[in-house]
Amino acid sequence: MNRRDFLKQSGCAAMGTTTLLSTLTSLGAVNGAMSHKNLSSKPSVSEDYKALVCVLLAGGIDSYNVLIPRGTTVGGDNGYNEYASTRSDLAITNASLLALNNPQCTSFRGLPCNYGAFGIHPAMTGMRDLFNAGKLAFMANIGTLVEPIMNATEFENGLKKIPEGIYSHSDQIMQWQTSVPQSRNALGVGGRIADLLNAGNVNNQISMNISLGGKNIFQTGENISEYSISNNVNPNNVGLDILPSWWSDSGLINDIRNSAIDSLVGQTYANLLQETYAGTARSAMASFEIFKEALKRVPSIATQFPNTSLGNDLAAIAKVISVRANLGAKRQIFFVTYGGWDMHDGLANGLNQRLPVVSDALKAFYDATVELGIAENVTAFTISDFARTVTSNGLGSDHAWGGNSMVIGGSVKGGKIYGAFPKMDLNASPQNISFRGNFIPAVSTDELYAEMALWYGVSPTDLCYVLPNLGNFYSYTPGNYPIGFMNFNGTTISTEDKPQSCLVY
Amino acid sequence: MSFPLFAVQRLFGIRQVLTIVLLSGFLGITLFANAQEIVTFGKGNAPNVKVSASGIANQTGIRTLMSSGYLPNKNSAARLLSQATLGTTYDEIENVATLGVEKWVDQQLATPNSFNITTYLQNLHQSIVDSLKRTEPSKELTNVFLSDWHFDISWFQGSMTATDILRWRVALGLSEIFVTSRISAFDGNPYALASYYDVLLENSFTNYRTLIEKITYHPSMAVYLTFMNNHATDFNNGKQTFPDENYARELMQLFSIGLFQLNLDGTEKKDGNGKSIPTYNNNDIANLAKVFTGLSWGDSRYIGERSKDYWSYTKKLKFYAIDSSDVYIRWWVTNPNNWRIVNAHEVGAKTFLGSTIPARSVSQGELDIKDALDIIFNHPNVGPFISRRLVQRLVTSNPSPAYIQRVATIFNNNGSGVRGDLKAVIKAILTDPEARDCCNNGNTQFAGGLKEPFLRYMNLVKGLNLKSSTNVYRNSMRRAYEKTGQIPMYSPSVFNFFSPDYKPDGALKGMGKYGPEFQTLNSQTLTGYMNALNSWLINDDPIEYYGYFGNETYKPEQEPRFNFTADYPLTRNDRLTQLLDKYNLILTHGRVSEKNLAIIKKALLNIPLSLSNGVPDNDDALRRVRIAVYLIMSSPDYLINK
Repeated sequence: MNRRDFLKQSGCAAMGTTTLLSTLTSLGAVNGAMSHKNLSSKPSVSEDYKALVCVLLAGGIDSYNVLIPRGTTVGGDNGYNEYASTRSDLAITNASLLALNNPQCTSFRGLPCNYGAFGIHPAMTGMRDLFNAGKLAFMANIGTLVEPIMNATEFENGLKKIPEGIYSHSDQIMQWQTSVPQSRNALGVGGRIADLLNAGNVNNQISMNISLGGKNIFQTGENISEYSISNNVNPNNVGLDILPSWWSDSGLINDIRNSAIDSLVGQTYANLLQETYAGTARSAMASFEIFKEALKRVPSIATQFPNTSLGNDLAAIAKVISVRANLGAKRQIFFVTYGGWDMHDGLANGLNQRLPVVSDALKAFYDATVELGIAENVTAFTISDFARTVTSNGLGSDHAWGGNSMVIGGSVKGGKIYGAFPKMDLNASPQNISFRGNFIPAVSTDELYAEMALWYGVSPTDLCYVLPNLGNFYSYTPGNYPIGFMNFNGTTISTEDKPQSCLVY
Repeated sequence: MSFPLFAVQRLFGIRQVLTIVLLSGFLGITLFANAQEIVTFGKGNAPNVKVSASGIANQTGIRTLMSSGYLPNKNSAARLLSQATLGTTYDEIENVATLGVEKWVDQQLATPNSFNITTYLQNLHQSIVDSLKRTEPSKELTNVFLSDWHFDISWFQGSMTATDILRWRVALGLSEIFVTSRISAFDGNPYALASYYDVLLENSFTNYRTLIEKITYHPSMAVYLTFMNNHATDFNNGKQTFPDENYARELMQLFSIGLFQLNLDGTEKKDGNGKSIPTYNNNDIANLAKVFTGLSWGDSRYIGERSKDYWSYTKKLKFYAIDSSDVYIRWWVTNPNNWRIVNAHEVGAKTFLGSTIPARSVSQGELDIKDALDIIFNHPNVGPFISRRLVQRLVTSNPSPAYIQRVATIFNNNGSGVRGDLKAVIKAILTDPEARDCCNNGNTQFAGGLKEPFLRYMNLVKGLNLKSSTNVYRNSMRRAYEKTGQIPMYSPSVFNFFSPDYKPDGALKGMGKYGPEFQTLNSQTLTGYMNALNSWLINDDPIEYYGYFGNETYKPEQEPRFNFTADYPLTRNDRLTQLLDKYNLILTHGRVSEKNLAIIKKALLNIPLSLSNGVPDNDDALRRVRIAVYLIMSSPDYLINK
């Protein structure tokens, strides 16, 4: 039996397979005992806790209207005018842009940043504040790549591997989550990280990977799948509803029902679809009571979150993080999705509606981590299917490729634009591959994830399990990081190599 | 009365005969000698035996079953109905058992569309207006506003009363392939939802070519995939804009041919290096995008005009070769030469998928759309692509390549030289040996598919025979959406609630097998479903009644509840087997295993039941029935339909 098989089986064996709901009471007691260690939500100085929060902006955000060049020096940094000319009716006025202080955009892999002055969309004051406070970094022109593609000629000559289905929602949203753009069968980045590190959590009954967005590829690993919660973080909202109290013997009948469900899902089914259902039910039910007990200990958090779906989701994550000790979690990966970005139409209004939601919610989330004293332990980042054409279709923009992402947290070396912002004058842009304005990414998703994975505690030798293509972009040497946006002070690069071998696709 | 007692006795009073025939190992077939007298051959009717009539592994057997007068037993009749309807009643099971599979399918395919959702919605709207008018005379259809849930009420009404139940099942499947959704610009317009769904109902049994044309010209699709008012490449005031590519891409990727070239059996063709071969590239998209330019609202005056009212969404799109919007927008301009008149439709040849639409005058531009749909329709991928999707919706998540090939062959030619005949395709899907054979040619490991959450709800209300005394239902179906994330026309995106290519983790991981509906399943929706069952069934609240206006009189008959009284006698310890057999038949066509029936029976026996003179106490009996159905519907045997 190899290690993976062992993990798979022990997941069930630890619980026994016949009594899930019926043993939960005793499990709850165990968990209660755990929490008597009196771990408060404030970490001790050396608390070994880290969390990644993946914010999926589903639909393909027009991120060239999020991060925007501002310069108007003809013959010099003339970024805004080039931007405005290409974006046509989609361009945002220069006067309304929120200026970023000295964003220090330089170059990446030999590709220039092209511009010096930048601003962000006027609806994103929270993000501007975090950037200027050094807690937010932009990745410019990042996207799915199997290997570096330096210019349109390399793209067209057929010698470089091109991601499957560029411009296709279903492919690109998947590849941003797998970082394996040459395959439609890959696991998720967060899932593979959890494969390696889940055992480090004290309590393995609750997955390291917690989702506010339901099933997703990002959190799916070989042995790990997500534990889905609702943003209504309330102990009474976890698990099966009880039978009506006005039923005579309702307690008894409740036990009878639970025990029967245990038995129905507790056996092994020869039909693998049935077994898949039963397995999902088993692992979910094994988690309910622990989760329920932990939620009873959520402290009150003063930071106000906006009452939006993303705001509520991120508030829920903050609450779960606040009871990490009760959950027995040293490492957690969260996933949240906020869609509606496929703005072929109504782009200007669409961005005006949705970008403040993102900005306000992420700002509140950062503030909550400060309040909880764990800002340095939590890193949030945005991903999306792709960026959009910089040219207009009259009302909006269409599917493109490389775009701009944000990374936020107390351990982020923020206030800086990493990567290489592409030339907005399409005729002068070696990265442009279409008359519509579609850019080959300068930075790969691999490099973004590798840097966060090293910070999170994946050892350099295990990176090839998490990111099978990483070798095409980067190899680890001490002090040399893939992009350089994380602050590794106080972080020890893990030397604990796990037995998983490199993945090859 | 939901389940006549005599039927139960008829079902289970024949074990002596059964045992004898069981030994013969003969096919499970019930032969009706006449309406009253039943002779049963085979195992299908035996309680706790999971083999059903369709245990036939060879085609000869199927042919015999179809054409020579032998009839399916009740389990296999129920099984057909589990694939071909939204949920079945006991009466319908008997109907299929009487008619036979092929005849039933033929009858259904011949039944005209019996319910128009838009008409019902409009009448509902009018009745609300009429009621309001009594106190507010100014009220008209145009100033009494509705919500999206008026569509849901109208949809539910149709689903509960339409006689063309196969059409209603197929249309739901089509709504998950040719997706539009209220999560869009028409989120508050029930007419947009109703009118689009009516197109699916009307064309469930027409031709695929007709269907994609109707969809292409439907305003809901045009808004959803943003080709409403799509304009030719334009250079105006120094600003250049290009045709919107959204519909061009999704029409090919999701509605017709998919990303890769396919063999007739649905497997991907490979190039010399073993790689899949893309069906199109971005140039094809940009060219096809030019085709879908010049379409605007059916009641518009010029391209670029906004929708007028609710009913703009019910009118076929209008084609504009020329953009004369300036004449209307800058109406005060006196010199006609100062108006900006440009092409609305993009002229010039358009090459995609290896075919070229010839350059033609802009006034003839609408022919581009016809040509483009013909090119797509005749692409060899369409047969296997659409066949696989429909098979997955109706029958099984992992059809064999041979099954897809048989259906795709019928798609390509219905036998009379017609391509795209959906009637023939539906019939081929439902009567295929792999659909009728219970055991997927012995490959039970991957048989069947997870019932999508919304179907479970419809199974419940149909199977438990929810009945309104006036035959009017007022059900907004909110709980189904809130707890399970699915009701019709509420997909999160054009990619549906789940992807046909979703591969679940867990036991199926690494097997290369698909489980589309598993994409909806997680720890949250798992309990969401069971807690919704708890509300519908245990708390006796199966439908969500919404008031139409303030001070409206509550109409309890429009909010019916389940009636279990016929089941009460079956809750006695000595008759529990009959209770379970009944719901095992109706809800799972006899697929709950003996082991699981024993588990459920044991649970029921432990629920106190007081008897007086041998008659169960009503409250106690009700609890046993409800828990019985709850547990059956929570069992993997029910949830995986195979």
